Amino acid sequence: MQESRRNFIKTSTLATSAFILALHLPVKSKAQEPSSKLKPLEPNAFIKINSDNTITFLMGQAEMGQGTYTTLAMCIAEELDVNWEEINIEAADLAKIHFHAWVPLMLTGASSSISTKHEILRKTGAALNIMLKTAAANRWKVRQFNVETKESKVINKKTKETFTYGDLINDLSLITVPKDPKIKEFSQCTIIGQPVKRHSKEAWAKVKGEAEFGIDVRVPNMKYAAIIHPSVFGAKVKSFDAKKALKKDGVLIVKEIPSGIAVIAEQWWIAKEAISDVSVIWNEGDFKNISTEDLNKEYEKLSKLDGSIMRKDGDSNKAFKDADKIIEAEYNFPFLAHAPMEPLNCVVHDQKDKAEIYSGGQIQSVYRDVCAQVLGIKAENVKYTNTFLGGGFGRRAAANVDYVLDAAHTAKGEAWPVMTLWSREDDIKMGNYRPMYKNKAKLALDKNGIITAFEATVVGQNIVKNTPFAFLEKDGVDWAQWEGLSNHPYSIANHNLQAHSPESPIPVLWWRSVGYTQSAPMVEGLIEIAAKEAGIDPIEYRKNILSDKRHINLLEEVARLANWKNRKKEKNVGYGVSFVPSFGSIIAQIAKVRVIENDYKVEKVWCSVDCGFAFNPLNVENQMISGINFGLAATKHSEITIKNGAAVQSNFYDYKVARISDVPDIEVSIINSGAAIGGIGEPGTPPIFAAVANALLDATGKRYTTFPIKLG
Amino acid sequence: MITKFKVDNVDYSIDIDQNTPLLWVLRETLNLTNTKFGCGVGECGACTVLMDNKSIRACTTPISMIINKEITTIANENDKDLKKLQNAWIEEDVSQCGYCQPGQIINALGLIKQTPLPSDEQIIFSMNGNICRCGTYNKIKTAIKIASKS
Repeated sequence: MQESRRNFIKTSTLATSAFILALHLPVKSKAQEPSSKLKPLEPNAFIKINSDNTITFLMGQAEMGQGTYTTLAMCIAEELDVNWEEINIEAADLAKIHFHAWVPLMLTGASSSISTKHEILRKTGAALNIMLKTAAANRWKVRQFNVETKESKVINKKTKETFTYGDLINDLSLITVPKDPKIKEFSQCTIIGQPVKRHSKEAWAKVKGEAEFGIDVRVPNMKYAAIIHPSVFGAKVKSFDAKKALKKDGVLIVKEIPSGIAVIAEQWWIAKEAISDVSVIWNEGDFKNISTEDLNKEYEKLSKLDGSIMRKDGDSNKAFKDADKIIEAEYNFPFLAHAPMEPLNCVVHDQKDKAEIYSGGQIQSVYRDVCAQVLGIKAENVKYTNTFLGGGFGRRAAANVDYVLDAAHTAKGEAWPVMTLWSREDDIKMGNYRPMYKNKAKLALDKNGIITAFEATVVGQNIVKNTPFAFLEKDGVDWAQWEGLSNHPYSIANHNLQAHSPESPIPVLWWRSVGYTQSAPMVEGLIEIAAKEAGIDPIEYRKNILSDKRHINLLEEVARLANWKNRKKEKNVGYGVSFVPSFGSIIAQIAKVRVIENDYKVEKVWCSVDCGFAFNPLNVENQMISGINFGLAATKHSEITIKNGAAVQSNFYDYKVARISDVPDIEVSIINSGAAIGGIGEPGTPPIFAAVANALLDATGKRYTTFPIKLG
Repeated sequence: MITKFKVDNVDYSIDIDQNTPLLWVLRETLNLTNTKFGCGVGECGACTVLMDNKSIRACTTPISMIINKEITTIANENDKDLKKLQNAWIEEDVSQCGYCQPGQIINALGLIKQTPLPSDEQIIFSMNGNICRCGTYNKIKTAIKIASKS
């Protein structure tokens, strides 16, 4: 053992001069087993230190704007003690050590990166810090308490001599990894809990256009593919003629793939232009006769039938019979595209017995495995490299793997690496939308205006059926149908909540905050209507039916932030409240809206958030602003409608999103309640829908329950 | 046809189909990927560059319109106003996914070259063609103000 260890050290020094700590606490707790077979740069690690003291943190979580690289790096840095400005943060290769705590996949979703990763990363940093101190103490032949660390160096307290961390890497494999290193209490932290800007290397790369997104990958001899997709959902190629296209300079291959026709060319622009020279005849199927009106009729019919039970308790029939007042409302939500700014893309290089993939993905291991399947190569022989993501919002966690499948089929058997790049039109028209929902809801109120029963029927396509995420469906109910609804925070004695899952060839997918995009606007809209009917202040009304002190505190905080009691009442101005627990965090928002003729402007949003403990309050604020503006687009503008079986909208001129003229002034306050750590990437979005609808109710007296909300 | 133009003070002379949009010449012919593709129809602003100091959308500008022109992109290292904007972007912690920001910053550069001290209304008016799905608009406004005053 001793001999092989020496050999390893020698090899390691010569070959790479790097040490990688791959802790997987508490299951496994040792540094890489030295062995002659070990590759010097194993990817399954969180921290890489080179002999020149270059320190790199390797991230299994994808950075799509939510700030996870910076906040997770803060977790390591807090314990390891590094020169913050000098560290590198890079995407890790695929490895089990980076799998999500909930599912054996590399997955960035459900706003769970910090809550599931902070502890392991802090412990890894702490363990390495102890090992470096031990190594230095051994070299100086002093006791460990005589050494300390500062900014990537170990210092001998007496002599003031120093070693860089890089000086010590060869000593580390001889040192036992501490089994359960102690990590700091939040109150002792000097980085965690501070408002830290996005790491300057990432931030500068982004403002200079140097950050590498999937679309920027350039592999030697790479070709580009544009795809001809059908307009009608579910249509298949019957036949095609590419003779004319193939005569064009730069066009290399035109071939059928399962979703349509792939055109491979020397440049993407050439491929895109050649599309008009390919004639395709489609088998369009029955869906070509379907429009949004037809779906509405079908959903309406379903909503009157018994559905799958999501929650049933008490006796809601009796409560409605005994009710003093009944509130009924129908909520309509359209299909929504995510429309991340970077159009979807993926590079695949089929090398017969192995392959390489480059993309920006939220489910890296799923993408790798599906590509391997298509190419007929063992997954372990497929190398996947993740880049920065030019927006995700769930779209880059495509459960049906659509754009990656296109890339794999297109590059399969080709001599070159091929980047398959979807146009914006592909992105808007190809589905994977937030489902369309038609929800019917009823509240029973007693003579004091207290809610005694809540009945609702959700009608919307199931997201996870027939995908690798089918485990999220239970008893015929999709997670996205019940979250935020069955587990709403209010004390109501009687429930009957049901769901229907109509089917269509339109692919549907999670969209930032998933089920809460339909449940929260409904629940919070109904509560505000009930408060108004009861003649009670909407914040007081909510406080009366909440039992968790943490919830009540947050509502009081947002009331303080907005100076609620002294809000300025003006003609055509309304204020609306919304409170939504989601992804382990709780958020309260108040929107101020001004009605201007047949339009309205959201002028101000006050937002209070309690995510347990804000690891990076600046990023929490940024994510609240981001979540609000993202939700505002769907509150005011965005919708996909269907005509003749196809999406009507195709680009940003008809699929409208929020622009700079739309966004309100936003003020954020944070409560560190000490509750379990919650997420921040998504929870800012759910409350804004109802906050705006409720402000419009206040301003106009009218209920707005169809999204996007149009006046008049 | 041989086309001559200048990008960030470097002269180029290339033989290319005159209908090719400037964006694809930059990204694929010259491999200058700093300028981004967002919509292809001039609706999102991700591909914004300056042509002789005025903002244009590179995705809808054929190379034939660039002959003998001077293009400024986000990769320009010598433009002092650009550096001011980039510094302000860092100071305000604007970028999230960062994909649209090269276009946002260059569009803001076009604005402050024409209007060195823009009002809120002028900022909103001239930045309204640039989409950011992360919704960083609030901080973009502040960053432009900081840069224009520095």
